[in-house]
Amino acid sequence: MQSPLPVSLTVNGLPFDGSAPPRKLLSDFLREDVGLNGVRVSCEHGICGACTVLVDGKTVRSCLMLAVQADGSTVTTVEGLARDGELHPIQQAFWDNHGLQCGFCTPGMLITAYELLSHNVNPTEAEVREALGGNVCRCTGYVFIVKSILAAAATMRQEAPR
Amino acid sequence: MTLGATKYIGQRITRREDRRFLTGRTNYVDDIRLPRTVHAAFVRSQEAHAEVLSVRTERALAHRGVFGVLTSEEAALVSRPIRCDSTFPEWKGTEFPVLAWPRVRFVGEAVAIVAAVDRYTAEDAAELVDVEYRPLPTVADLETAAEPGSDLIHEAWGDNLFIDRKGKVGDVDGAFAQADLVFERTYRTHRHTGFPLEGRACIADYNPATGTLTLYSATQIPHLVRTGLADTLGLSENMVRVIAPDVGGGFGIKAHLFPEEMAVALLSMRLGRPVKWIEDTREHLAASIHAREHVHRVKIAVTRDGTVLGIKADLLVDAGAYSVWPWTASMDVGMATNMILGPYRIRNYEFRARAVATNKCPLGPYRGVGRPSAAFTIERAMEDIARELGIDPVEMRLKNYVPDDAYPYITATGMTYDSASLQASLKKASEVVGYADFRREQARARAEGRYLGIGFGTYIEQTAHATQEFIKRGVPIVFGYDSVCVAVDPGGKVSVDSSLHSHGQGHETTFAQVVAERLGVPLADVRVRFGDTQSAPYGMGTFASRSAVLGGGAAWKAADIVRANILKIAANVMEAAPEDLDLSEGVIQIKGSPQHRMTVAEIARIAYHRPEKLPADLMPADLTSIQSYDAPPGYGTWTNSAHAAIVEVDRDTGFLRILRYVVIEDCGVMINPLIVEGQVHGGVAQGIGGALLEHLVYDERAQLLSATLVEYLLPTAQTTPSIEVHHLQTPSPYTIGGFKGMGEGGAIAPLPALANAVSDALAPLGVSVDALPLSPDRVRALIEAREGEARR
Repeated sequence: MQSPLPVSLTVNGLPFDGSAPPRKLLSDFLREDVGLNGVRVSCEHGICGACTVLVDGKTVRSCLMLAVQADGSTVTTVEGLARDGELHPIQQAFWDNHGLQCGFCTPGMLITAYELLSHNVNPTEAEVREALGGNVCRCTGYVFIVKSILAAAATMRQEAPR
Repeated sequence: MTLGATKYIGQRITRREDRRFLTGRTNYVDDIRLPRTVHAAFVRSQEAHAEVLSVRTERALAHRGVFGVLTSEEAALVSRPIRCDSTFPEWKGTEFPVLAWPRVRFVGEAVAIVAAVDRYTAEDAAELVDVEYRPLPTVADLETAAEPGSDLIHEAWGDNLFIDRKGKVGDVDGAFAQADLVFERTYRTHRHTGFPLEGRACIADYNPATGTLTLYSATQIPHLVRTGLADTLGLSENMVRVIAPDVGGGFGIKAHLFPEEMAVALLSMRLGRPVKWIEDTREHLAASIHAREHVHRVKIAVTRDGTVLGIKADLLVDAGAYSVWPWTASMDVGMATNMILGPYRIRNYEFRARAVATNKCPLGPYRGVGRPSAAFTIERAMEDIARELGIDPVEMRLKNYVPDDAYPYITATGMTYDSASLQASLKKASEVVGYADFRREQARARAEGRYLGIGFGTYIEQTAHATQEFIKRGVPIVFGYDSVCVAVDPGGKVSVDSSLHSHGQGHETTFAQVVAERLGVPLADVRVRFGDTQSAPYGMGTFASRSAVLGGGAAWKAADIVRANILKIAANVMEAAPEDLDLSEGVIQIKGSPQHRMTVAEIARIAYHRPEKLPADLMPADLTSIQSYDAPPGYGTWTNSAHAAIVEVDRDTGFLRILRYVVIEDCGVMINPLIVEGQVHGGVAQGIGGALLEHLVYDERAQLLSATLVEYLLPTAQTTPSIEVHHLQTPSPYTIGGFKGMGEGGAIAPLPALANAVSDALAPLGVSVDALPLSPDRVRALIEAREGEARR
């Protein structure tokens, strides 16, 4: 195995300096080295979307990116959504609308919804469903996830400065 | 016992467990990091059937970072194989070894386990384990395997039949002699699986100093796993602790004792340190649990007016290589045998039911267990027959259903349906989906060359079956009850410990609703816990749509006992008679005298810290009650549902779009309708996946061709529609609270509903579906077959 290389990231607003062997996945690095359990690993081949995080503001499947590739990036995980104990409107909407069951897909869903709503605060149901196309949920049948995201969008439209 | 006005039961209360999942503060197995943990990878067979001649570990052990390797030959010396035998005399059993020795019987069966400093290194080293095989003839096809003279999976049997049962009830010959039409067809459902998003996962932590083994496992059945581990590994059960922490979905797949759990435990015992195994997708698809591979050959006797007189059914289930614990290999075929009759009043029935061994992954329970396949057969047959006789498919069903006023109803095979609303549900489904209007829309669309279709799928579903039913099924463990402990602490707060685990079902909310309601305390004062065999009372676990009934019932009983004891203590302190006291929202008042009040917290403090004030017959322990509930008479309580699907099929591509999906469900009294709807949605989505996408494909040499999610397709937000759910509530006459189970039901009806809708859409072309999945290529093949016939 090749020797580790330095990996420096900004994760959820805080700097993190570590190192990783070249083949170590970003998902494993975030979980094991940074200690963020909210990064969920399911399929490990880029289909299910559970491990989705934001890298420099864009969604990335952290099981398809090497930690060393993320060196110098800014990463946001589900742990970075709530502020001072107050849930982000997307998190709150998932809670209010029963948008989760076993919870395993939830971090990836929240991050994907976050990216969608940061570009489009007034999406149609079809746009929400399209945005979720790369995130698998096995429990909810997506009905209440879609409802949650539409509800979050409504909240965020009200909160946004006009 | 039924309900009057309620404060919590029946309310759409948002889930109390959600915050940890929403913020990433979860505790799934992979989130648990114990000191000195080593990481495991399995060496898995690429042969479908072979003798294992040798397993050589020298190269793996020499690899830097490797701590140990356990081979199948070594494991066989220190463990017993998993045996799960039916009590039926026709049964033939298997020995499912912890690691395959001296034979492998399916691709993906584990042969050795390697532990290393991290998962990456363990996988490297697993490739360095050298296994020598001598290939044997493979049997991949169910119908071939069932034939006399087939190559054998288990040589001593003489054939490949786990079980071969026959039965005949009523006057079958008379029914067929009277028939105007004998309808004959073979229906097939295909192999697919539950695929919980979290795969299997476990950490075994053996402490040689205390001799205790702790297994953290993503399981639905922690107590049964404890018993199974102790039995197979020869340990005292009081030295084994199983913890099921947060679990990322189960759907029945995680309701087994797995050889992998045993292997990880054996390796931890050898190394004296924690061993962690997190399954990958290929392992899960190849070697966890498969489901639903059935072939049903039916003959149905019908009169000209559509009355079904009798059925002859030859049922084959591909149970794979081994019988799984604690279910046996006959669960699916047994369920199908009974539920082919489904919601219909059919008194004359002849069956042959065979569970067949093949060189494939073992078959086990997956949401619905045999019923999706049975419903596919009978619900497809009803619409096929209706088409042949020129009868409306809704009228055909209404004519043959067990009528809504005929309960309790005992079926031809002896199942007792306690209550249901089949007729009302189907009528409501037709109304909600706009059946009459749809026929006009369909005619217009057909005129434009568009193929729209509507299909119904209906069922009655046994839920929360307990002692008597499982005795009848001949399983070695009778899953008769579950247990809940309700305890009020000195601060007046309530802890609820349950033998039923929640992995998405929301027990932390629903059980709290029941306890708050019955005990008379605020919901916020109740905390529900489960999953740790060291603190939860012994019970069976979460499967078979049983938690609301058996857990809800046990919680109800325990809460009532604790409430009565609180009132007795309060009566003593307040110098009143217990029957003159009210307890609600944690406050005890003398009826009609609201100024005389005490809180549950005050009573609890007295009970624990001023025991001299207790009545003579009570002790502090009386603020705790453990109750088991077995839902007598134990044959199950029956939920029913009518699904209606509208689809559009693209004739050129075979691609289909679900335009509407309507569910009318009746699970009796609902504890929390929000959670009920979530369960229905999820079940329907899994059913849609099974009907359209998900397929575990083996080639003729029993090699798995769909071992990644690129081949095994899961439904997404784009393949599933916005499922519409409506409720009817027919309370169970038997169960506490009138509750019925409903966790599985959503997954039963989509198979027939969608197949019926596609058949209806393509009726002008003469297409009628008899097998799944309805992938575009298969739909095109159905169309082409008809076009080919038309050209000839």
